[in-house]
Amino acid sequence: MTKVFTDGLSFAMPLLIMAIGAIYSEKSGVTNLAIEGFQGFGAFIGSLIAIILMGTMGQSSQAVLYIAMAFAAVGGGIYACLHALLCIRFKANQVISGVVVNILAVALTSFCTSLANTKINGTMSNKFILGVSTRFTIPVISRIPWVGGLFKNMYPFEIIIIVLVIFFWYLMYKTKFGMRLRACGENPQAVDAAGGDVEKTRWAAVIISGALSGIGGICFAYSLLANFSPSIYMGYGYLAIAAMIFGNWGIGTTAIVCMIFGLAKSGGYQLCIFMGLPSSYSDLFLMLPYVLTMILLIFFSKKNHPPKAAGEAWDKGKR
Amino acid sequence: MKKKRHTLAHLLDGRHASVWVSVLAVLLTLLTAGVMLLLMGKNPLIAFRSFLQGCGMLPKANYGGGSGMLSDLSDFLNYMAPMLLASLAFIVGFKAGLFNIGIAGQMLISGFTATVFIGYSKLSALPARILVVVIGILVGGLTGALVGFLKYQFNIHEVVSTIMLNYIISYLTGFFINNHYVDMMTRTSRICSANARLTLTNVMIAGVKCKLPIGILIAVIMAFVVKFIFDKTVFGFELKAVGQNRKCAKYTGVHVGNRIILSMAFSGVLAGLAGVTYYLGYTNTIIPKTLVGMGYDSISVALLGNSSPIGSIFASIIVSIFQQGANYMSSMVNVAKEIASLITGILLLYASCGTYMKMRAHMVIQRDIDREEEEKK
Amino acid sequence: MDEYVVEMRHITKRFPGIVANDDVSISIRKGEVYALLGENGAGKSTLMSMLFGMYEPDKGEIIVNGKPVVFHSSNDAAACNIGMVHQHFKLVDNYTIAENIVLGMEPVKKKFGFLPWVDMREVNKEIQELSQKYHLEVNPTDKIEDVPVSVRQRVEILKMLYRKAEIMIFDEPTAVLTPQEIEYLLEIIDGLRKDGKTVILITHKIEEIKKIADRCAILLRGKLVDILDVKTASVQEMANMMVGREVDFNPYKSPANFGKTILEVDHLTVKNENNFEVVKDVSFSIREGEIFAIAGVSGNGQTEIADAVAGMMKAASGTITLDGKDVTGASIRERAEAGISYIPEDRQGTGVVMDFTLQDNLALREYHKEPFSKKGILSFDKFRSYADELIEKYDIRSGQGRETIVRSMSGGNQQKAIVGREIEEHTPLIIFVQPTRGLDIGAIEMIHKQILKERDRGAAILLISLELDEIMDLADTIGVIYNGQLLQTAPADTMTSHDVGRYMMGVKDA
Repeated sequence: MTKVFTDGLSFAMPLLIMAIGAIYSEKSGVTNLAIEGFQGFGAFIGSLIAIILMGTMGQSSQAVLYIAMAFAAVGGGIYACLHALLCIRFKANQVISGVVVNILAVALTSFCTSLANTKINGTMSNKFILGVSTRFTIPVISRIPWVGGLFKNMYPFEIIIIVLVIFFWYLMYKTKFGMRLRACGENPQAVDAAGGDVEKTRWAAVIISGALSGIGGICFAYSLLANFSPSIYMGYGYLAIAAMIFGNWGIGTTAIVCMIFGLAKSGGYQLCIFMGLPSSYSDLFLMLPYVLTMILLIFFSKKNHPPKAAGEAWDKGKR
Repeated sequence: MKKKRHTLAHLLDGRHASVWVSVLAVLLTLLTAGVMLLLMGKNPLIAFRSFLQGCGMLPKANYGGGSGMLSDLSDFLNYMAPMLLASLAFIVGFKAGLFNIGIAGQMLISGFTATVFIGYSKLSALPARILVVVIGILVGGLTGALVGFLKYQFNIHEVVSTIMLNYIISYLTGFFINNHYVDMMTRTSRICSANARLTLTNVMIAGVKCKLPIGILIAVIMAFVVKFIFDKTVFGFELKAVGQNRKCAKYTGVHVGNRIILSMAFSGVLAGLAGVTYYLGYTNTIIPKTLVGMGYDSISVALLGNSSPIGSIFASIIVSIFQQGANYMSSMVNVAKEIASLITGILLLYASCGTYMKMRAHMVIQRDIDREEEEKK
Repeated sequence: MDEYVVEMRHITKRFPGIVANDDVSISIRKGEVYALLGENGAGKSTLMSMLFGMYEPDKGEIIVNGKPVVFHSSNDAAACNIGMVHQHFKLVDNYTIAENIVLGMEPVKKKFGFLPWVDMREVNKEIQELSQKYHLEVNPTDKIEDVPVSVRQRVEILKMLYRKAEIMIFDEPTAVLTPQEIEYLLEIIDGLRKDGKTVILITHKIEEIKKIADRCAILLRGKLVDILDVKTASVQEMANMMVGREVDFNPYKSPANFGKTILEVDHLTVKNENNFEVVKDVSFSIREGEIFAIAGVSGNGQTEIADAVAGMMKAASGTITLDGKDVTGASIRERAEAGISYIPEDRQGTGVVMDFTLQDNLALREYHKEPFSKKGILSFDKFRSYADELIEKYDIRSGQGRETIVRSMSGGNQQKAIVGREIEEHTPLIIFVQPTRGLDIGAIEMIHKQILKERDRGAAILLISLELDEIMDLADTIGVIYNGQLLQTAPADTMTSHDVGRYMMGVKDA
């Protein structure tokens, strides 16, 4: 039972930070299907740095993880500039741009991984082997029955993500920047007339979106996958978008949705083992979050309120 | 003298602007790819030539027994068929204002269904092939219609529902393949019977072994059918109206919900056909839990072809050259074949800047006109 | 000597294809109400947008308080204490009034000494005080989407006051208000003048200028025609200058000749998406040869009545009868075939497909019928000849004739195309919603003539307009709507515009 909570949380946290990335972008008025690409590219940069550092700092150094996370954020943020450029500067269709950015991320990272591997260790492999981050258990609280599992065997990145979530919640709802950002997604004309810079705000939002997604990506690479390879593009970016829609573009609600997704996944997997089913049945449980989203959207989508100006290019000249 | 200025801008603002945008995108892509290859110390000209050689468009230095340029060309067409169909699927949705980004999923479910019911049956060639096509149409169409229905009835954005469906289909078919239809050696689904394939293998033409893809015929015909529907029919006119301005279409008296469902169904039909030509003709097996990249590549084809059915024939040739010629190119110049996807990505990147290019060209020309007027004064 | 607070010298501004301002010079004194008069598209808003920093002039200079300035953004203008109320309010619907006012100028506090924080509780208090000081009562915590238009305008004015604006630009502020609200607004403007603020009023309504302005600059097609002292200039003189020719104020209207009843709306109730009753138990009827006009402040359910009659919205209860046939449950197309034409409020959003050609747009009512199509195949010959016929008949001007993409046409010509397309159906009932909003006088005259011509032909006409003048000019019968209910229905000649205005405010026994 505790395993359900432990695994659920470790899946939900990276998902949540990616979903918050998506929220930032969309709340500022830029539709973002590119999360999948952002997280992959961020993870690629992070892993590349980790592989290089592991050569000098040793395989097991935990510091590598934190440096990798920082670089994943930077990488994701830089890569996100491409989406910002297409959507904000070039006024391309934002859905198409998202698709473009994703395709390019897959192609670019797979190609560069092979290239880097030939340079670093002479193999043509498209994988960076990272290993799994060490875990720790918070004393006392973890002994609480049932929920205690949430605090057992935690990855250190989960704590970092929780801190980040709180910070980005505060930034969105309590600061000047957040206030303008949300207004940009509702009525950019209002922000412009009030002296705000719509383009800059949207750029910042998309870059934040990329940075947070990058962090999400490297966390998956360090937990679920234990490596970086093209299999990082297994749709978790899209799942994060689903969580965002499901959470009606709110940070708090999206956090709950991510927990539900995480618990559904780990719960399903444990149930599968408990019932003695072969591991191939786990595919059916992996499907659950998607089915859940579809079904719940049927009931709630009429109540959904996406940001009004999302998807529209902002044109200052247009009256 | 003035006319000479900004020739490029005039091309990008003229009657055939969209064609020139695509041409420019291709040229820029070749340039970018060329520079990349140079940086890696490879000769880009050799690389580009080997892409074409790999597709049977230029003769290779030597051929294995029984194969020749024609065999490569037939292989190329075999790959291009589903690509063209998939891009038509995107175009149909796009014209009606819908983003069908679930083409990969729709291809997978129809390919899977056809493989399981017909590919593993002992039916003889003709009925088997007809049934495969029918299944492709039905399964793809129904999946598409479901997306349209969800949008109309429950206001679920098609981008969201197609993504969700992609993964649901991927896991669901993956589950069945792994449990029932897996080939223990390859870890993919068992090969489908030759009778059910939409490609005739080992046909001897001019003394070399060729593959005759029926799919390419279907695909080209469908391109013209799609063109006819959108250019000449009431139905196409209504779909375009729905795509451009849903409110106006409703105001005119078009049953918008019905048209949304029908256009998604039509898009799904084409994706379904792409699926059966891909899985029963090109690969003949299904890798479980994997959505083909073609689902997204088809979007670049549609974009490069300026969402015109005839344009996408040319665009699918170009994109297919990179994808299909990659293996040979890789062996010739020793560059990882992933570069093909990278080139496609770059192509897509430039193509998606088309609107911006046109906008800039228009501004440049307008400024010239204004300046001339000023001078006249 | 005169102290000019704003001088704009030899301003020229061009947009691709048009010259919006051509060598315009104006000077404004401190503490006056300065009016900019001109038709739609004369370049008034563009000129003021430059003073507010939203565009930069191609030529000319702007001098504020004696110093030449270059504004790159509205921030620069705001720094010179210039504020502007735009014609389309720039408000965020799901933000509160207070949030909207401080947006862009958010007061930031340091929580725990380091965390920057926008303290909304403090802001609300501050806005409350500000609104009381200037007698512009608002509740700071109300959301914009929940308050009426007149309150939104107050929010825009408070936004300027919060930014300590000394020079205030109002762009067509009365377009959306009732006569009573207009009077109230003019009082506010007068109060601002007494406080020493300089007010620039952009308008095309001469009466308002007469009432409030000190001086008035008249613009015509981007050029400055003249600057007049309002006290000494006559209304007719100003009108002629604004249009550039003699204007006839009263369109000729022949005496009414009513026939049988065409449209009968009985106890109609309409609910919107949020299940809220926007039209409540409305009944009225229109006869042949009658113009039935619905007057009301924007958002009181009038467009929903039009939508319900045309079939765009469902009737929650009640019946709609057209020429003796119950069409309550009929589809949009069935109603159109039964004899309803509809000129919708949102012409670009609903009336046309912007990226279609003019030819395709003109065929939108006919394309599915012979001879425009046979067995589902379109016949473009018919499309072309029909388009040419309508272009000629309704004087629709465009760059490339029937092949023109509608998006590139002017608003007036887009509307002419819609009006032509709908009138050409010669249906027994024609619905006009805001048929002349934003058009220049030439186009307005033309459309008013068409409406009267159809009436004289014997069509029943449902006219919905926010322009009270238009209603008073054209209507045979007036119904006033307030909060979804028809408060009063009476022959037009028994009501003055002031009576109508009072009903529009919801006063029942005027």
